Amino acid sequence: MTLTPDEDLMLQVRDGAGETLGVLFDRYQTPLFNFYSKLTGDRALSEDLVQEVFLRILKYRQSYRPGTPFRAWIYQIARNARVDHFRKFPRQTALEPEMLPPVVPTDSAQEQQEVELLQRALGQLPEEKREILLLCRFQELKYEEIASLLGCELNTVRTRIHRALQELRKAFHQLAQGTMLRKAEAAGNIPPQGGRHEV
Amino acid sequence: MKCEQISELLPDYLQGSLSPDQRHTVEAHLEQCADCSEEAALWKKLSLLPVDQPGPESRARFEAMLQAYQAGRSNQPEGGSEWRKRASAWNWNVLYWLRSPVGAMALGVGLLAIGVFTGLRLAGPKPPSPDFVAMQSELTSMKQLVVLSMLQQQSASARLEGVTWSTREQQLDPRVLSALLHTLRYDASVDVRLAALDALSRHGRQPQVLKGILDSLQQDQSPLVQVALIDLMLEWRDRDAAHRLQELEQTPNLNPTVRQRVEWAKGKLN
Repeated sequence: MTLTPDEDLMLQVRDGAGETLGVLFDRYQTPLFNFYSKLTGDRALSEDLVQEVFLRILKYRQSYRPGTPFRAWIYQIARNARVDHFRKFPRQTALEPEMLPPVVPTDSAQEQQEVELLQRALGQLPEEKREILLLCRFQELKYEEIASLLGCELNTVRTRIHRALQELRKAFHQLAQGTMLRKAEAAGNIPPQGGRHEV
Repeated sequence: MKCEQISELLPDYLQGSLSPDQRHTVEAHLEQCADCSEEAALWKKLSLLPVDQPGPESRARFEAMLQAYQAGRSNQPEGGSEWRKRASAWNWNVLYWLRSPVGAMALGVGLLAIGVFTGLRLAGPKPPSPDFVAMQSELTSMKQLVVLSMLQQQSASARLEGVTWSTREQQLDPRVLSALLHTLRYDASVDVRLAALDALSRHGRQPQVLKGILDSLQQDQSPLVQVALIDLMLEWRDRDAAHRLQELEQTPNLNPTVRQRVEWAKGKLN
């Protein structure tokens, strides 16, 4: 069985079948929630913004034109909703590592540690760099779609992705070095057997 | 090949959209260059980041919002099946639209705009002549005429389009602002009123807009519009906001969601 394309469902919503929006909600709530939670680190706000996106879809459904790729359209709405929110309520705190969701334990301790570091490194990037990586890697938008979303040329998208990756690599390195140093310090502080008396 | 040249290909390589030849070139470079290969490795690891799940109540909130929205609509004179018929009858075919007077006028404005900008480009980077400035202001007022005309259309979709058109202009003519305020107060469609409120929210510094919006808080019967109005008053933090919210709270039979929002907003204002 093939799934009804998002665009067809959205046309039904536009023509009055509001209940069909539930199918689109089921398809998009988790990706949108992750887009927001990885950008802001705030779960409650991310849930509110997802609801706001779907309310805006209802409000503006009549402006949806046949042939518009739905995914690009909904992310346009999602970006606007976020911008409007932070215009109304300016951010008081930056994204802190402890605000990030816990990493699910994997078989390999090293892999788990790397994912944790990567998550923290991503959190350290400026928001526009974090956003572009999230859009292409998590939301799986095509570069053409991102270009139209950000209102820039395709080549600019490529350059921005590359710069974001470069910065991510640097942040990741710094964090990894910091972790290694802390481990080495911790290892050095372990008192030898028999005890050692600090003076 | 140098990193700079590879950097142009790397994003496409990562999405798997290179030709086999280009792919081999990138792979050969990655074997030699630690930095680039590390970037490619990080890209792959990004997919290992945990997928966060929204809370279980998220679906229920959506259902409640949808129901409230549909209930709000069905209270409208234009609601229900009549609205559906209108909506599905609305044809977005461009030729059809251009045959209508509004479409023809919009096309005229569009062509005039193309003419003005082509002329400007051909003329080179000279300071704008008084003629050009006059023409530009004429163009702006024509666009605003289109908005005025669209706001008076029978179809809710056309009025919604008119509101959307108004948001493309930074400065609005006082007549357009009055028309938008009129739409906010008297339009039968909740959607059009909500869109008019969005459009007006950009012009909150104008005293007539502020007053019109504060006045509609008492008048509008749709919980959706009332909640949007409360949010806007909170955003603007006008001196009068707390007093108006107090008045609204005393309204008998106030919708519980609206009452809750008023309480929340009052908390934020204090």
